[in-house]
Formats: sequence, C-alpha cells, structure tokens
Amino acid sequence: MLKFILRRLGISVLVLLLASVLIYWLVTISGDPLQDLRESNADNAAQLMQARIELMNLDQPWYQRYWAWLQGVAGCFTGSCDLGTNINGADVLALTSLAAGSTLRLVTLATLLAIVIGVALGILTAIRQYSGFDYAVTFLAFLFFSLPVFWAAVLLKEYGAIRFNDWIASGDMEPPMVLGIAVIAAILLPAVLGGTWRRRLYTGAGTFAFVAVVLYVLNILEWYRNPFFGLGMVLLTAGGAAVLTTGVVAGLGNRRVLYGALTTAVVGTVSYLVFAGLLLEPSSWWTLIGLFVLAVAVSIGVGAAWGGYARKQAMLVSAVTGVLTSLVVVFDILVANWSGFLQLKPRPISTIGSQTPNFTGDFWESVLDTGMQLLLPTVLLTLISVASYSRYTRSSMLETMNQDYVRTARSKGLSERAVITKHAFRNALIPITTIVAFDFASLIGGAVITERVFGWKGMGALFIDALNHVDPAPVMAFFLVTGVVAIVMNMLADIAYAFLDPRIRR
Amino acid sequence: MKMRRASAAVAVVATGALLFSACSSPAADNEEPETEETTTESASVDPGEPCKPDLGITETADGEIKYSVGEDEFLGYNTLTPETYSTYNSAVTERMHTGFWYFGVDGTICRDETFGTYEAISEDPLQVQYTIADDAVWSDGTPITYADFLLEWATKAITADGTVTEDGSEDPLFNSVSGLTLGDYTPDGPQADSADAKSFQYDYETVYADWEIVIEAPLPAHVVAEQAGVSTEELVTAIQELDMEVLEPAAEFWSTGWLSSPGELPDPALVPSSGPYTFKEDGWVAGQSITLTANESYWGAPAATRELTFRFAAADTHVQALQNGDLNVIEPQATVDTVTQLEQLGEAVTVTTGQTLTWEHLDFNFNNGVFSDSLEAREAFAYCVPRQKIVDDLIKPIDDSAVVMNAREVFPFQTEKYDEVVAESYDGRYDEVDLDLAAEKFAAAGLEEGTEVRIGYSAPNPRRADQVSSIKASCDQVGFEVVDAGSPDFFDQDLPNGDYEVAMFAWAGSGQKASGQNIYATNQPQNYGGYSDEVVDEAWNTLASTADETVHLEQTKVIEKQLWDTLFGIPLYAHPGVGAFSSDLENVRDTAAQSGIVWSSEQWSRAS
Repeated sequence: MLKFILRRLGISVLVLLLASVLIYWLVTISGDPLQDLRESNADNAAQLMQARIELMNLDQPWYQRYWAWLQGVAGCFTGSCDLGTNINGADVLALTSLAAGSTLRLVTLATLLAIVIGVALGILTAIRQYSGFDYAVTFLAFLFFSLPVFWAAVLLKEYGAIRFNDWIASGDMEPPMVLGIAVIAAILLPAVLGGTWRRRLYTGAGTFAFVAVVLYVLNILEWYRNPFFGLGMVLLTAGGAAVLTTGVVAGLGNRRVLYGALTTAVVGTVSYLVFAGLLLEPSSWWTLIGLFVLAVAVSIGVGAAWGGYARKQAMLVSAVTGVLTSLVVVFDILVANWSGFLQLKPRPISTIGSQTPNFTGDFWESVLDTGMQLLLPTVLLTLISVASYSRYTRSSMLETMNQDYVRTARSKGLSERAVITKHAFRNALIPITTIVAFDFASLIGGAVITERVFGWKGMGALFIDALNHVDPAPVMAFFLVTGVVAIVMNMLADIAYAFLDPRIRR
Repeated sequence: MKMRRASAAVAVVATGALLFSACSSPAADNEEPETEETTTESASVDPGEPCKPDLGITETADGEIKYSVGEDEFLGYNTLTPETYSTYNSAVTERMHTGFWYFGVDGTICRDETFGTYEAISEDPLQVQYTIADDAVWSDGTPITYADFLLEWATKAITADGTVTEDGSEDPLFNSVSGLTLGDYTPDGPQADSADAKSFQYDYETVYADWEIVIEAPLPAHVVAEQAGVSTEELVTAIQELDMEVLEPAAEFWSTGWLSSPGELPDPALVPSSGPYTFKEDGWVAGQSITLTANESYWGAPAATRELTFRFAAADTHVQALQNGDLNVIEPQATVDTVTQLEQLGEAVTVTTGQTLTWEHLDFNFNNGVFSDSLEAREAFAYCVPRQKIVDDLIKPIDDSAVVMNAREVFPFQTEKYDEVVAESYDGRYDEVDLDLAAEKFAAAGLEEGTEVRIGYSAPNPRRADQVSSIKASCDQVGFEVVDAGSPDFFDQDLPNGDYEVAMFAWAGSGQKASGQNIYATNQPQNYGGYSDEVVDEAWNTLASTADETVHLEQTKVIEKQLWDTLFGIPLYAHPGVGAFSSDLENVRDTAAQSGIVWSSEQWSRAS
C-alpha cells in the first residue's frame, strides 16, 4: 500500500511539474501585460512600460522567468517560500493565503451540504425509482446542473436577499404565503414517503394542516423577528435526531443503541445548561471547538457504556447524535440572537461581501452576520453540486441494488433497512468517493463566478484578475494550490477506497 | 405507458418553471416600469458651478456611506507609484490628500482656497507664487509646509544618479508614476526661506502650459524624513544639495514603505491625512472593504458624514447592492441594461447620466494603406461614417444628452469653449451621411470598388463591434469593403505594425492642455498613425510654451481646424457615464473627470 501511494505521489509531482511549465507558458502568451500602458496617454508611458518590464522581468524569455519562479517555489521546502510578486508588486504568497482562506470558508460548508443532501437524495430516488418524487428530483437535478450560475445568482439575490430583507422588515407572513408554503410541504412530504394513494392523501392533509397552523401561530407571535426555540425544543429535536439516527443505522429494535442515543441527547441538553455561560459568550472559536470535541468524546463514551453486544454501532450512533445535538444547541443560541442581530443590521442578508463592514456585534451576532453572508453563495454552490451527486448516487445505488449479494441479503431475511444501509449503500459509495474528491478539488478553484457575483475575494478572483493582467505569478500560485489539493484529494480517495472496500487493502 | 405519462408531467412542470421564471425575473417585472417616477438627472446639464460649492457644512454627522469603485483591492497610501496608480486606489487616497487644486465636474481646474492660494506672478518667464493656508496641518498636527512640496518636486526631478534631470529620460530615483517631467521644466524646484515656510515660489526654465496641474497634492515629508533617519530640515537640505546618503533611504521608503499588504493598515503615524478623511482603525478587511473616518484635524469644512466605506465589489453586482442598501452610491458600467435596471428601482434611487472625459474616435493610418496619402479617400470615408446613427443607437439609450462630438481637445459639455472652437474649426459637413458625395470623393481618389478598410480595435468590445457594423452598412454602399479587424492584441500588434486602415479607440482626457501634442504632432509617441502636419506642429509648440489661456484657446482652434481639414481622424462621441445613489443621500454629484462620482464624497450626507 505504502509503495503504491509513494509511486502515485511521485507520478503526481511529475505531472504537476510538467503542467506548471505548460501553464506558465500559456499565461505568458495569453496577452500583453503592457496593454493598459499602451492605451495610456501619459507623457512618460515609455518609462512606465520600462518600469513594468523590469518589475515582471519581461525582457527575459519565458523559460528564464519560469526557472526563477520554480526556484522561488523550491524555497518552500527549505522554509523560504517565494511565489513572486504580482503586477502591483504585492507579495503573491500573502495574497494566496488570504484567497485560499476565503475560498475554503466559502466552499467547505457548501461541499459538506452538497454531499449529505446529494447522497441522501440519490438513495431516496433510487429506492423510489420511477416514482413522482424520482422524476421531480431528476428534473430539478438537471435544471440546477444546467443553471447559468450568474443568472441564478442574480435571481437568488433578488428573492433571497432583497425581497427577503423587505419582508423581514415587518416579518409578517400573509395568509397566501402561509398557504403556499403549506401546500408545497403537503406535496413534497407524501411524495418522499410514498405508499398508497390513500396514505399519501392522509400524509398530505396532515402535513398541510400542521405546517399551516405552525406558520400561523409563529406569525401571531411575531416569531420571525423575535424568534425563540427554548430548551424544551432543543431536547425534543435532539431526541428526534437520536431516534432517526438509530432508525437509519441500527434499527429501532436495537434498544441498547437507541438508549445510548437518547441518553446522549439528554446529556447534551443538560450540558447546554451547564456550559451556558461559556456558550453564550465564548471568548473565541477555540472555546467552542473544545466544547465540541468534549461533546463528541462524551457521546462516544455514552455509546460505549450502553453498547454491550452492539458496542461499535452504539458508539457511532451516539457520536452522530452528539454532533447533531451540538448543532441544535448552536441553532438555539443563534435563534436567541436573531432579534438583537436585526437591530444591528435591519437588512440581514447583503448581496455582496463575506461580512458587513464595521459590524459591531458580539460573538454570536458576528457569527450570524458572516453566516447570513455565507447563505446565498452556499445555497447556489450546493444546488449545483447536489445535482451531480444525486445523479451519481442514484445510478450507483441502482446498480448495487441489482447485485446478487443484495438479493441474497434480502432472501436471507434481512430488513430492508439493513439491506440498503449495510449492503447496497456501502458498496454504492465507492465510485462516489472519487467524484467527491475530484469535486472538492475543483470547487477550491472553480467557484470563480460565484465569488465574483457575491463579492468574495477567493482563489477564483485571484486567478481571473491575474489572467486578465497577463500576470503569471498569481496564476501559478492558483495552479499550485489547486494542483496540490487535487493530488491530496486523490490520495484521500484512494485511502477511503481501502476503508470502504476491504479487497483493496489486501 | 408509465414512462410516457411521466415524461408528459415533466414537460408540464418544465414549461411551468419557464413561465414562472419569465414572470418573476427582475428584467420582466409584472409591474410596469415606473420610469416617470424615477428621477433622472443629467450631470452635464447641471447648471451649477463646476467646482464644489460651499455647502456650509460645519459638523460631521454620525453615519456611514458605502461606495464601490470596483473589485480591486486597496494597495497603499502612496498612489503615485506605477504599481499603485489607478482610479481604484486614488478613489481612497484622494480623500486623504488635498492640494492647491482639483478637477471640477467638466474638467475645469478648480482652486482649493482652503488649502492655499497660488498666482502666476510672471507669465514669461513663468514664475508661480504658492501660499499654503496657515492652518493647514497633517492629521498628526505637523503643519503642511514647503518641505512637503519640495519632496514632491524631488520625486519628479531627481535621477537615480543623484542629479537633477536634464531631459526627463533618465532613470528616476523615486519610483514615481509621473516620471521626471517636473524636474525637466523646473530644474531649480520650489524656493523658500526655510523648511517650515508656508509660501514658496516655482521658477520655470521653460514656460509650460500645464503648470497649474503639475503641482499635485503632496505626501508628508516629515514622515519620509523620519523614516530616512533625519529631521525634516535635514531632508530639505539633502534635497537641495542632492545628498544621496539621505535621499536613497528616503526614496526607498517613498517608493515601497507606503505599500500595504491586503488588510494590514499601516501604522497611523506613517500615514497622516491632509484631507477630510483618514484611515479608520481596523477599517480594512482584505478583499472586502476599507473604511475612512472623518479627519478631526482637517482645517477646512469637515466631512458631512463620519464614515465612508469603499467596498471591493465587481461592477456588475452594484445595482442589486444599491437596491439592497449594501452600497449607497454606485458608478456601474454604462450600459443600456444597467440604466434600465436602475430606472426600474423607482424613487428609492436617483440616477445620473452624463458624458465623461473619455472620447471615442476613428483615426486614419498615415503610414501605409489607402488613406495614407489621399485626402479624398479619407473624405469619402468621413462622408459615409454614420456618426449620428451610432450616437442615436448606441449612446443615447444610456445618456439622453449624448451628442456627436466635433472636436478633440474640448468636450461638448464644456459648452462655451466647445461651441466657440467648433464654430471656428468645423462647418458640419460630416454631420449627416452623404453617400453621393462620398461616392464622388471615392471616385476622385481613384479607389477601386471593394477597397478593403480594416477597422482595428481592442476586442472583445460589443459596442465597438456594433459601431463597425454600422459603418460597414453605410460605407460598403460607397465602394469600401469594411472589415471588422477587432483583435485582443490590437494595441500590442496591429497598431504598432500598422495592420489597419482605421483605428477605433478612446483617449481618456487628462485635463492637461498640452497632452494632445503627443498625439497629433509629428513623431510623437502616441501619434500611432504617423500623421504629420506643419501647421499642427507649430500650433502645438506655441500652445505648449505659453501660460496664456487666450493663446491656448486660439491655438486649439487652429489645431482643430487643421485636423478637420486634413482629416486626421473622425471624433465620434464622449463616452457616457452613469452614477446612481439612494435618494436619501444629498449632495451626490457625478463628474466627467476621471476621479469619478466619489470626488465630492466629503459633502455627501444623509437627509435626516
């Protein structure tokens, strides 16, 4: 295995090196770095051109400049990285680290969401193949996949930001809106759940009534401007998460796992009370991360204590429940901070920027501010990636569902849940890992348009600006980062293969 | 069977979605666009003063106004290096650096009496007396003095060898975007009694038409002196005596010490302000925005609003950002789409459109090709270029006030001067397309049917492509065969190599009086087409070497007339500009000058 990895690594580095030569050359012939000066009517345009030629060493042939660049990069291995300077004389290394940080913030959440939602949708559509739900998801997947990002972003800003902000100013949900949302929910839920027409009708009616009443009550309470969630709801949601996770992973029949998960939910809610002081006004992100790690550790402990014969499963389910409970707690805190945040920022969702300039809120209000700014681009990126993930998962799932071993599993009397999660899903994941790995690598560099329309300065902006100025150094930095990420993600995919498919390990 | 029903359902849903998106896209809003309610002001017909009026602002109101020039990051306090010199950077630094003058809305040179006064005490030889206001101080309390202006001169005069420049062509010591021009005109530099004198005098070796605007807003000499490890007095002496031991570290700091890494504001002690705004502590977030706050020590009328934030956002995001209140003042790309979008926003937004100091033109190639030695061929082409149609079709939808431009050195919105110059230089013969006359000239020039005319421009540029097709539709009837020769490396390859018959591009008016000499006089660097005319050369020499404004005007008429008569090229129109702001703002005024709508930002205030 090690030899295999090393060999692949060696080949990747070689490919990276050759590609860097090619890209450098392509950038240098992509245009004229002096263009703006040639159009200038300054008296000393010739002197300015000379200055830029010296700054960018344009008097040297491209391979000499490439060699100089490569030497600077080689310095990275001896601790003195030099990625050169851009056309404005700014240090590219500093620019790149800023840009990479910004892009990571933008794409991490979107990628995670896209994987979770996309894979889930793929499995559901595979199970309900050729149902109305399947067709609807297929239709939407193709629609989103072919969306022109730019246009979709403009629409998102119009409805997700501008109209939402107009609405939240009063926060009053009018009856048609309430009914509309209820109808949509009443159509969606039965379609996912499936069953006979009679069952669907009942589910639909029930959903409609429930959603309409909840929305109506929330409206009366002016919940949208002054929302609350409360400890009771936290406990209830955490408990729900515990039951759901158990149901999917181990089956509700496995009492030990169920009790472990439920205990985790209760312990989580109680520790929310205990750590309330720290949680409500944390000194830094590290406090939160520390608490989160503690929560996961405790959850695993709880699972192990309850586990017995199903120890491994109980630990997994409890850990997942612990993570979900932590998220619910954070959600509760954010909800509690919402009205204060609205005071500071009456129009909560901006159309540009990764944060509000000169925002003066406390920790959680700032989290809300950056979170709100993350919302629209994340939705956009997620929509696009979900499309491909759900399609791949669906076909991969359908393929494994037709395999002999799945039939065998069914025929030996395993529950449908066990067949799907243990036998079909795990095998269906193998091809998806490759796609996820590649996708993440391309997202790092590929969010060019999203970054631009939402005013984020990430890797995409770095690349495009530099290319427009025929400025090789930032383009090469972009290439280095995306290239290295691609290699690393490929390695991770290989390792994940080995984890998912024991045959590879041998 | 099941499949078929299902695909029918999918089709229905798809159609529905399309209908839905058609109804709900912002471009096709169900409501009638309320154009009549939109307040559209035309900046160019604004009857007011070109300069900033005194609005009687005495106090700074709390609040923040957000503006964006574009997505470009702020680069540093010193905008005068070639690496930082851009409208994006100067939009910020101009709020912190004031000088004796600024450009008004129509390009007029406005004197800033708050900063000080100046007067040409003699026109030939040119001697100018400058007096800085007594209360003019940097925001750290140091008075603005002769030393600051001496340093400003030094950056544009001293060569890397430690001498004062002979002809402006040597390597400069300071990395200044202006080169060594000032030292060329006035090798002695400004003279005063002492380093902390408030008044000084410039003696020019040669009379220079643009003497007013070569003396720009200074950077703080006391900061440079401290960084070079000397006192301000010692720096002044060092400049006067060309002491390189002091000047080298000073130049090093001047050229690099004021450039910043994104998001890292320099030490406040290094960046004092002489304008109404200064850096706000922690106000710069890399890639996001930079905030300026009112300069408490500014001696003139204080900034009307406390904070001014520049957000780094791409121009195509500006309209929605304005609608959502993420930006309060914008200057989007001047396209028909933008204007329509802005007008649909109704009363909440005020739109200003007008002409700018950048102008579009067609230039003939005099080095080679069909037009190089035949005036009649050029005339034939000029008669068939549909100038009015181009303006009506492509520019008027953006800016109502757009007109065909009939001059090169003056702009239509500089009404008085423009009318006077055009009346003297051009009789309106190319105003309307005259295909018969064009055909006559075509024949007289002895051109053959199907003579190829390559119109070169820097592609891609949709508007210019449209212009070429308009010209083609008209001129092909005469017998020309117009070819769209737009290419991405037009300036790099086609223009220097002469692979064109007609070049189409725009010059950005610099506000200088004599800058046109570089374009129209024989063998000048920007005379790409190789035009040469004795009358024009001589008129430029006369114009450039006097400070007398009546002579400037007279010579401009001579030049314009000669350029029309010999058909150097065909001016088309001044580029349109669009600005927009939330209607609750007051005193926002667009300008034709390069500084953009932000030029008077210290007067912007929110209606209470």
